[in-house]
Amino acid sequence: MNKEKKLVCVVDDDQSVRRALGRLFRSAGYAAETFASAEDYLSREIFEGSICLVLDVRMPGLNGLGLQEALETRGACEQIVFITGHGDVPTATRAMKSGAVDFLTKPFDDGALIEAVKRALARGEEQLRKRRGRREARGLIEKLTPREFDVFRFVILGLLNKQIAAELHTAEKTIKVHRGRVMQKLRVTSVPDLVRISQRAGVAPAGDPAED
Amino acid sequence: MKDLAAPLGLEGLRSRSKTERSDAQFFDWRVASVALCVFVGYYFGAKVGFALTFHPHPVSVLWPPNSILLAALLLMPKPTWWLLLLAAFAAHWLVQLQSNVPPEMIFCWFISNSCEALIGAGSIRFLIGSPVRLDRLRNVAIFCFCGVFLGPFLSSFLDSAFVAMNHWGEGGYWDIWRIRFSSNVLAALTVAAFIVTWATRGIDSLRQLSRRRLLEGICLLLGLITISFVLFNGMVQEKDSALLYVPLPFLLWAAVRFGLQGATAAISAVAFLAILGVANGHGPFSEKSAEENAVSVQVFLIFMSMPLLFLAAIIEERDKAEEALRGRDERIGLAAESANLALWTIDFLRDESWMSDKGRELFGFAAIEPLSRELFLSRVHPEDREAVDAAIESARAASKSFEIGYRLLRPDGETRWLISRGRYVSNDDGGVRELIGVAIDITAQVRADLQLDLQREEMARMSRVSSMGELTASLAHELNQPLTAIASNAAAGRRFLAQGPPETKVFEELLADVAADARRAGDIIHGIHLFLRKCEGTRRPINLNEIVREVLRLLHSDLLGRGTAVQTELAPSLPVVDADPVQLQQVLLNLLMNSLEAMQSTSAAKRRIVISTTCEANSSVAVSVRDYGNGLPADDVDKVFSHFYSTKPNGMGMGLTIVRSIVEAHGGKLRAENVDEGARFSFSLPVTRKPETREGA
Repeated sequence: MNKEKKLVCVVDDDQSVRRALGRLFRSAGYAAETFASAEDYLSREIFEGSICLVLDVRMPGLNGLGLQEALETRGACEQIVFITGHGDVPTATRAMKSGAVDFLTKPFDDGALIEAVKRALARGEEQLRKRRGRREARGLIEKLTPREFDVFRFVILGLLNKQIAAELHTAEKTIKVHRGRVMQKLRVTSVPDLVRISQRAGVAPAGDPAED
Repeated sequence: MKDLAAPLGLEGLRSRSKTERSDAQFFDWRVASVALCVFVGYYFGAKVGFALTFHPHPVSVLWPPNSILLAALLLMPKPTWWLLLLAAFAAHWLVQLQSNVPPEMIFCWFISNSCEALIGAGSIRFLIGSPVRLDRLRNVAIFCFCGVFLGPFLSSFLDSAFVAMNHWGEGGYWDIWRIRFSSNVLAALTVAAFIVTWATRGIDSLRQLSRRRLLEGICLLLGLITISFVLFNGMVQEKDSALLYVPLPFLLWAAVRFGLQGATAAISAVAFLAILGVANGHGPFSEKSAEENAVSVQVFLIFMSMPLLFLAAIIEERDKAEEALRGRDERIGLAAESANLALWTIDFLRDESWMSDKGRELFGFAAIEPLSRELFLSRVHPEDREAVDAAIESARAASKSFEIGYRLLRPDGETRWLISRGRYVSNDDGGVRELIGVAIDITAQVRADLQLDLQREEMARMSRVSSMGELTASLAHELNQPLTAIASNAAAGRRFLAQGPPETKVFEELLADVAADARRAGDIIHGIHLFLRKCEGTRRPINLNEIVREVLRLLHSDLLGRGTAVQTELAPSLPVVDADPVQLQQVLLNLLMNSLEAMQSTSAAKRRIVISTTCEANSSVAVSVRDYGNGLPADDVDKVFSHFYSTKPNGMGMGLTIVRSIVEAHGGKLRAENVDEGARFSFSLPVTRKPETREGA
């Protein structure tokens, strides 16, 4: 288990269901918060860690599917498990297509619900890790000068210093200096590490059509 | 017109009619031609009259001019009469001058002659009105009395007086009166009747006759002329007066087959030939003196023609009435046919009956089968027979009309709906003479109504079933929330326990929540009872047999569709219970639907439901529904009434819960048990106690 922060949020208009579910998640070792409506949840400050929403489909005001849409446009990484009193197939299909982790019909087995929440949190963590890695790599790459950035892109293309010098119409010696600086700034010691950073940050090698 | 205008000195009149067209209507060519005809007719009529004058009396056997004038006056509008009289006067003057009659006598005779025509025409026009048509017995009678009798009768006094006054001729006053009277009567009977009849109907009527009739008419005329000629003109030597009957068959033939036109033509022909014979001294009227012969032939002709005219009129009148009746029958028949009406009459006096073809077809009667009340009732549906009979009987007793709707059970087994209206027609002495009636087939309309009723029932049933379903669904949703909460709390508690000794406070809260949710679920169930009790206002005393019949009617199509036979064993007399009929229908509907579903895997031959009602010790009434399905799980028969218990894959398990709630809300009990090859559900309701008498208190 990694030590990332995890949170389960229950959104249900029925108080006793809300309370009981909050208690159930806490008993399973999760931090749990409860919200009486979709609007209440949206007004909460954005949580940085992995988060699973246990969401009732039918609610007064913005319903479960509406909240799912709203979160998508906000670009957050909440994973959603729907719970509903009437599990009709069209609603379930729509929810799953929009990326829900599971769709459970009340009354449900507590094991199944906790299993679904666990899956959701794991998926959330995975997404978070990817996102964090990209942000870090980009932070390092931003520190490069434009010239160093150009050299970086030729290096990850697999070109030798002499070839890069020819491409950039400069002396091989100069390229060697730039290369050393790049390695230093990106805190790596080998070309494979350099390639890994470029992939995490989504930087394409020089001459790649995607970059143009 | 030149011929007419010149002798009359009417040049001025003619020129005026040319310049002033608006006045020309009385002097148009038609009036002028009639006036011309009168002139010509009068002239030649007088010639004939003179030819038939038997001297020494200055009066002829047959004097046609007066009759010609009479006919013209009868046919023409009154404002033109003066012109006709003028034309006659001109002809009269012209013809009398040739006979060396002194002018005073000529004038006097014209006075008496025109008086005769005016008296006849005036009185006939007064009594018949215009136009004068001799097509009815009444009109012929008026014509005979006024034109034939009254005119000559009165004018003959005048005529005789004029003759005496002018010392013309040799006869005495009464001789002249008698001869003139009879000769004018004869002329009016023959000439005037002939002209009026033929002029009003026209020659065109001959063209409308069929070829065969025309041939018949020609044969008749030829035969009559031949016979009369032979008889009256000396071909037969015997003077036997019995021979006078020989033309009679021909005359009757003419009257019967050709009406007044035939009769007047035949009379004229016979009269002409008879008089001609007498004038020539031939025939049966040639034995005595010329004067006596003249009287004989006049009497013969007058008494022969008068009844003939009446006979012809009667026959025509009857023909016309028959034709009108036939026309009316046809119209009524057409109307009846197009409106799907059955018309019928039963004549009790003559023991005759009639019914329109459409009616016989409708009732399934044979074409000549005599109708009777019994026969009619035998076709009426047995269930309606008594009511129909009672309605007819009460109408007969009061001699009035009846109207009743009923069903017809035809011999071919088809049922049709009819409305019959009938009326008893009374005799003069108050007895019942005839029963006339009409029946309308309203089957199509009734069927449409029934269809509508069925649809309405179907909708009522659907709404009842779906309201039940809705109630079930909303209850399920309501109960879902507390049950989910309870289940989650319980799971959380187990997990807390598994993690080690729990915090007391957390657990207290948890258990309090569980208890609250359980209460909440209980409240929801309780709410059903409350809801049902709220409906107590709609309770009324009902017979459970009615509920059973009603529900079976509602479920009729379902039962047919599922091929399930329903057998009812209803107690004949059931005490009433106080209940909401709609709710009890729902209970029974639910139990029946349960049974139907339980028998889905039962073979079609065994698939049946037995519904029975019983009365238990006069204190409660029970209804049981027994099916031949899989039966209930043997171990927990009572479990079927618990919430969410369902043996059906898609069942919510709420139906029987609500059924039990309804039954219990009515103070009754619901039971379920397994019987041979199936299950039986039954509910019993307490019998309504009669209000206790307060007299004792």
